[in-house]
Amino acid sequence: MRSGGPGGRPTATLTTASSRGARVAYLQMAGLHKRYGGVVALNDANLACERGEVHALLGPNGSGKSTVNKILTGVVAPDAGTITIAGRRVTIDGPAAAQRHRIAAVYQDLSLVDDLTVADNIALAVEPTRAGFVSRAEVRRRAEEALAPFAEAFDRRELPVERRVSELSAGDQQLVEIAKALARKPEILVLDEATASLRAAQVEVLFDVVRRLRDDGVLIVFVSHRLEEIMELCDRATILRNGRDVATVERAETSEAELVRLMIGEIETHERERRPEPDAEVVLRVTDLRTSRLNGATFELRRGEVLGLGGLQGQGQSELLMALFGADRILGGTVELGGRPLRLTSPRAAMRAGFAYVPGDRGREGILTGRPILENLTLPSLNRRSRGGFLPHRDERAAANRVVEQLAIKLGDLEDSVGSLSGGNQQKVVVGKWLLTEPRIVLLDDPTKGIDVGAKQELFTLIDALTAQGVSVLFNSSEDRELLAMCDRILVLYEGRVVDVLAGDRLTEEALLAATLRIEEVQA
Amino acid sequence: MTTAGPARDDVAVDVRRRPQRAALVGQAMVFVLLVIAAAANAALQPTFFTAYNLSSMFATFAPSVAAAVAQTIVVLTGAIDLSLGALITLASVVAVVLVDGDPSKIPLAVAAALAVGLLGGLFNGLLVALVRLQPIVATFATTFVFGGLALTVLPQPGGSVPVEVTTAYRAATLGVPNALWLILLVALLWVALRRSRLGIHLYAVGGNTTAAFATGVRVTRVQVAAYLVAGLFAGVAALAILANTGSGDPYVGSVGGAAIIGGELTLSSIAALVIGGTALSGGRGGALGSIAGAIVLGLVANIVFFLGVSSGMRELIDGLIVIGALAFTGAPWLRRGRQ
Amino acid sequence: MTDTSADLDRLSPRQALAWLGARPVLIAALVAVALFVFGEILSPGFAAYGQVLNVLRVASFLGIIAIGQTIVVLSGGEGIDLSVGKVATFAAILAARASAGGDEAILWSLVLALGAGALIGLVNGLGITFLRIPPLVMTLGMVGIVQGIVLLYTGGQPAGRSAPLLRALVNTRTLGNLPGILYLWLLIAILVVILLRRTTYGRWLYAVGANRTAAALSGVPVTRTVVTAYVLSGTFAALGGVLLLGYTETVFLNLADQYMLPSVAAVVIGGTTLAGGSGGYAGTAIGAVVLTVLDSILVTLRMEESGRLIVNGIVLLVLLSAYGRQRRLRQ
Repeated sequence: MRSGGPGGRPTATLTTASSRGARVAYLQMAGLHKRYGGVVALNDANLACERGEVHALLGPNGSGKSTVNKILTGVVAPDAGTITIAGRRVTIDGPAAAQRHRIAAVYQDLSLVDDLTVADNIALAVEPTRAGFVSRAEVRRRAEEALAPFAEAFDRRELPVERRVSELSAGDQQLVEIAKALARKPEILVLDEATASLRAAQVEVLFDVVRRLRDDGVLIVFVSHRLEEIMELCDRATILRNGRDVATVERAETSEAELVRLMIGEIETHERERRPEPDAEVVLRVTDLRTSRLNGATFELRRGEVLGLGGLQGQGQSELLMALFGADRILGGTVELGGRPLRLTSPRAAMRAGFAYVPGDRGREGILTGRPILENLTLPSLNRRSRGGFLPHRDERAAANRVVEQLAIKLGDLEDSVGSLSGGNQQKVVVGKWLLTEPRIVLLDDPTKGIDVGAKQELFTLIDALTAQGVSVLFNSSEDRELLAMCDRILVLYEGRVVDVLAGDRLTEEALLAATLRIEEVQA
Repeated sequence: MTTAGPARDDVAVDVRRRPQRAALVGQAMVFVLLVIAAAANAALQPTFFTAYNLSSMFATFAPSVAAAVAQTIVVLTGAIDLSLGALITLASVVAVVLVDGDPSKIPLAVAAALAVGLLGGLFNGLLVALVRLQPIVATFATTFVFGGLALTVLPQPGGSVPVEVTTAYRAATLGVPNALWLILLVALLWVALRRSRLGIHLYAVGGNTTAAFATGVRVTRVQVAAYLVAGLFAGVAALAILANTGSGDPYVGSVGGAAIIGGELTLSSIAALVIGGTALSGGRGGALGSIAGAIVLGLVANIVFFLGVSSGMRELIDGLIVIGALAFTGAPWLRRGRQ
Repeated sequence: MTDTSADLDRLSPRQALAWLGARPVLIAALVAVALFVFGEILSPGFAAYGQVLNVLRVASFLGIIAIGQTIVVLSGGEGIDLSVGKVATFAAILAARASAGGDEAILWSLVLALGAGALIGLVNGLGITFLRIPPLVMTLGMVGIVQGIVLLYTGGQPAGRSAPLLRALVNTRTLGNLPGILYLWLLIAILVVILLRRTTYGRWLYAVGANRTAAALSGVPVTRTVVTAYVLSGTFAALGGVLLLGYTETVFLNLADQYMLPSVAAVVIGGTTLAGGSGGYAGTAIGAVVLTVLDSILVTLRMEESGRLIVNGIVLLVLLSAYGRQRRLRQ
């Protein structure tokens, strides 16, 4: 049974198909509010779950899923809201308190200490002691017991009990993180993007474990953006959007398509005018490009075109952009700009060649937090305005204001810290600073991640304007829909190589999906 | 929102995130240096292996060893203690003033030194964990506080330690110099700490504070405890200095006269742990390496002395050793990764 | 996530304090003024014109040596330069020997001294960037190395005197009865502030301190910027040492060693965070004045050195608690 229509909001109570007659949900999080500085993460979010179910938490980037989880596990303190477990109000004022309430979590950024062994990590904060000393034998035994259910899933099928976490592969580390949570015998288990680094086989093992836990009465809160996993594993799902819950549905009564619709809400209206393709000259020719993550990427970029990077995430899209910007060492292959080979040894070299780069991680790689907006906007283009090393104040402000106007950046004063801006406006700063360098090729790595719809539209308009002036754009996005709406052609990457190029009438969702999954297109 | 496909079936796995070789080289190197330094000493000094000489040497090394262990404990959590030298000085002058040459007051003095160390450590710990000041600045400030207090307690070098203590300190039990027993005791205490819950938590907090916190480790308590234990070892170092020199000195181990009380003690404790393979960023290393490092520095000082070079050169050589040690372990050719 | 703007309508005492806490330079300036007032109350005549000038003159050497410290701390990456005191001493010794009490070689002695400082700074910078040695350790080791060089060079007996011209530059009273050094300090301070705020290098410095990765990805030459920071630190330390020579006229082996720690204190008091990327020289200069006034008051109170040290430490702690606190673990 579904509570709440497409745009409606459910009330806090609910009924379930597998109801045990409970009138109040086992876990009830109500009226959650959380704000980080100028950014609102949660705005009256509610969550209600039962024992013995796998409850999915869905939503687009920035919808607040992670924040809800962090509040539940005590890592973040809500500004307002209550949490009730089994009918009793609880206060979770830290991770230790969460553990006391038998809540365990598997975090997106793993909570493992790299330099400690797997066994030490599993026992961390709950080490068994004998006469004051930690009993190594007991620690080892517990680790083996915790890792055992996942024995088949580990690389080389051996339990890495005494190995340092730093030596393990990403998948193994993820499994250890999960085992660590389970070792605490929780009654509520939070899995936040726990399958991100796992192979298909490992995911199956995990799902078996989860199902067994559910049958034992454990509540599992499952966050993932892989919809097929949600449909396979979960009993119910709550969808978050913009910091509040918009619906709670039974898996049996919904479909992937409907989940997507609930998550996305408004339909994006932007449609790019396609340029006639044959005329344009080739501006950039990349042949057999190799780096530590690229295995020979080959493609061409035309003047004034938007070339998309598609395929499964993590197949080398970001790495390709970084290599072109001189931020990763090129081990082989050639890059030619207008026929001349380039030596992209550093970002400065790439900038001299006319590249601009908007990184995927805005906070860590895009902005200078704590510095004024003005400084952020003018940083890449300093040499254009400097006279003998000096920067005339008026020129700076004029240049910055040009960008602010063009991108409609909402700010108080140019001297305000860039951290005071909302996510969308910060991203405009990250993109906008390049406008002053008059680039020829703009490399965008997932530029719309975590920003609101309005800012997105403005970014797309900007891209159109740039290409109209002859600038070429390489566009990586985690949203296929976005790629199809914005790009003239799409490269499909797989394992660090370009395996397909979609253009013209092959620019459809079906074709892109097929190329991504490397299956034959179904002829309708 | 992503419409990512199903999990991949085959994965090109890049296993290592950090070269392990560098860490191993760091730890092993200090013992190599130890052997070299000892050999050089023995070569220069024919009387190196006599009981008298060994006794004197260990008697001089013991305070630095205790200081190195103290600093290591704090650094493991990712913090630092710039006030260590000043705290040691403070504890030593309090103890010497209390004992006043009277053997019956020894227990009191010992208790006082340890108590002062603990209180100083508590002060540091609260500033870092509760007031949340950066460790380097907080302990920078407390250096002045402890140093000033030391000068208040004992404005001029003086005071006297009962001769029973100084004699016993230089004597030997079961053929082993007593000072060496003290060093072994310190090492043993460290090993015990290492195997306790607190010991593991030190590494966890220093290795990845957020992960430790999210796992339920009481990070604040661990940070305070680290400074407390360090303070305890500082008290031990203070007692060792008194037993070695026989009198009190508020300027002991200062840098540039009274410019900063106990400065040199602090700096050499940092040098010792760096040579010994403990990472200044925390989470890696151990006090056994620091103990070896402290002894290496002491042996080098001996060499310099025997070469007839002025003591100023010792700072030069210490500086070169520290830089050299770090340059080797952190050197670019041991690293991989992007530019 | 939706955007909202902060509402600044109600200004509670707590918010007022927070506003103040975000402006450390202002706090430092207020503290400096308050200390002068306090001193005047304790000992009438303390804040007399001549006395204030005296305090400022003593503070100027610290202020100049702390310029380099400010730049290095701004560059981030736990940047700190513990060798400034030793470098200043070394520079003074070099200048004294080269001048030998005469004016002929004054230019050469200046070049020699500043060059030595720059060279030492260069070694520091290279060790920190290419050998990845933490600044604390690198500059610490350098203290010992420079000490050794000083001993070798002087054989334990530093010789020479400052050039009379230098002495005159530093001590002569000019406009408003101000000793030359104050004008020098002011001039240098203005140049430094311009460097930090209005030049390309200054922008690079702040960028590198705020976020090295983002800076590199915006085309900032990170390595060059960091190494230059340490070169500047060595150079200014040397400059401070030479000017100090002009004041003291003769050198001794640890002439300026004692400036190392106050230089860090001045930077911190002035609001430049040790994490880098925020702050500036104005705060440091005021911080130098605060430290000097404080010390002066304590001397007037006939407080022993012991008491002065304690008070220094506590004042530093109090100021830090006001604007140096770090993020909580649980947000």
